[in-house]
Amino acid sequence: MGVEAAVVDVCVLYAVYAILALSMELEYGELGLPNFAKAAFFALGAFSAGALSARLGVILLGMDWEGAFRERSWFYATVVTREVARTPLLGAVILAVVIAVAVVAAALLGVLASYPTLRLREDYLAISLIAFSEIVRVAARNFDAIVGGTFGAGVVDVFAWAGSARYLVLLLFALGSLALSYTVYLRLSTSRYGRVLRSIRDDELAALTLGRDVWKLRMKTLALGSTLAAIAGVVYALYTGAVNPDDFTVGKTFVVVMMVVLGGRGNPLGPLAGAALYILLDKALSFAKHLVAIPVDVNYLSYIIFGVSLLAVLRWRPQGLMPEKPPLTLRKEVLLSYLRKEHARE
Amino acid sequence: MNLLLEAISYSSVLALASVGLSLCIITTRVSNFAHADYVVVGAYAALLFKALSGLHPYLSLPLAALAGGVAALLSYLLVFEPLRGRSIVTLMIASMALDLIIRSALQLFADHVQSFLGIFARGFVFRDITVQLGGLKLELLAVAAPLTSLFLLALLYFLLFKTRIGIRMRAVAENAELAEVLGVNVERTLSFSWFVSGALAGAAGVFLPLRFSVSPDSGSFILLTLFAAVILGGLGSLTGTLVASCLVGFTETLLVYGLSGLGVSTALRPLFAFSVIILTLLLQPRGLAGLWAAERRGVLPWVWRRR
Repeated sequence: MGVEAAVVDVCVLYAVYAILALSMELEYGELGLPNFAKAAFFALGAFSAGALSARLGVILLGMDWEGAFRERSWFYATVVTREVARTPLLGAVILAVVIAVAVVAAALLGVLASYPTLRLREDYLAISLIAFSEIVRVAARNFDAIVGGTFGAGVVDVFAWAGSARYLVLLLFALGSLALSYTVYLRLSTSRYGRVLRSIRDDELAALTLGRDVWKLRMKTLALGSTLAAIAGVVYALYTGAVNPDDFTVGKTFVVVMMVVLGGRGNPLGPLAGAALYILLDKALSFAKHLVAIPVDVNYLSYIIFGVSLLAVLRWRPQGLMPEKPPLTLRKEVLLSYLRKEHARE
Repeated sequence: MNLLLEAISYSSVLALASVGLSLCIITTRVSNFAHADYVVVGAYAALLFKALSGLHPYLSLPLAALAGGVAALLSYLLVFEPLRGRSIVTLMIASMALDLIIRSALQLFADHVQSFLGIFARGFVFRDITVQLGGLKLELLAVAAPLTSLFLLALLYFLLFKTRIGIRMRAVAENAELAEVLGVNVERTLSFSWFVSGALAGAAGVFLPLRFSVSPDSGSFILLTLFAAVILGGLGSLTGTLVASCLVGFTETLLVYGLSGLGVSTALRPLFAFSVIILTLLLQPRGLAGLWAAERRGVLPWVWRRR
């Protein structure tokens, strides 16, 4: 069980961070929009699981909620989980509602956050998004009707019906979400939409003069990226089984930005590689801790190593570990047919 | 009365730190997210001084300023000098990485201090001295913080406008290439201005533990308040930053006091700084400086992005 649990742990965390990095890649790598409120949209997904799963379960089971949310959410989450173990349908309904709410809320909030700020210059935009992200966190922390404030909230285990195979189902769910996100991202990136995004990144004025509605595209992209981040949040909350507002500090955003820059912005595989590097480093260090006596706290050491390696990449390899390549936007058959024609002419 | 003194000392500490940040932004165009960490470095220098010498932390002001200055100087030479000329967002990301590094290094430092010296290095506070002033009992902070702040800022003014190095600094801020052509050593000048800005932050760090409990990650709590002051002042204006930090300091202190009287939790305090940032950028993006600067120069927040 030990090894199995460790593998699941690494894979699920990887999936969460990779989805976040993908959404950052879409916004920052392709569009050049530094969405430093990523943690807030990540939090939104987790909050939607934390705030809704137990409440929804209680309503669906026809029970009455007694007492304050922050004190009782853990208790009711356990009660509903026990029920889910018997009726998988309940779990599926809860999961579907949580995801739907997370996606809609994130898209709406993405538009809301971007509407007034998108016309700002990049650095102002970044700072105001950071402020926005902190507002979300501090609000969730202090109004404990949302996710229990500093107490946190319990999340219903929607995969409880699988019994001992629960981890396997969770793993499949996480990797499935990642695969879906990656496919969506890749399709968008190689489509006309992706090309317009990159053209805005490289020269906004030129894109504007060629008739592109830059602000509308930005808003759309931010909403899309936020949706992806919210999905990562749902996966994360389901995995940890708990939601705590203080998990979603600006530090989380920094880590995701660093993954994208480290991996290589503009390259679809970049964020995947960046996230893998981060997780590997983190896990390798905490594993090394058991083997050799490191005289310092490993968590901080891994932050230092990660920060230093990012600075090194910025200095000596600014395009990231995997530089951007011109994407293949034509379908393979079309390309092949061109090649064949060339061949025939000769 | 106490409330007023509280507001004054808070604003003056804020002013010290945010003017330094503003200086960084003007000279190098780096929105330095690690700036608040120099404040914390200063606070830790003061803690070390107090633990080793047994004297009151007020006396550690020069040491703390030096520590903050050296931290800033190192971060310029090692990180921002090689990255000069990169895009604003790249510099921002670099400063985030730097913030992460300094904060983690401080955590490790706090661990070691805790185990070697046997003192609390997390969530520490300093006890203030109470002085008698004309029958009025005062905490020294209420006098020391504004005086130090005034003195250092006056010194900065003198430095910037009355000395050769100050003229060079302003020249580099205005147009680095032109200054270089005219024989100014840009790298040395920028190093100096980073040192100055870090030293101001380090000095502010001495006063911090007298009001708040300080931990290695305290930087994240003050960072956005500093940015609020800088942005409200209008990015790139020292006078604006100064006025804005007084404004932010006073309003925050009074507002927190007034609202807690109405039963609103003081835990909502950080929301104030964040709203200041967002509202300023929405309503008056040039900040306070935009109100009096007839000349439309400096950094415009709403411009076309073009590379």
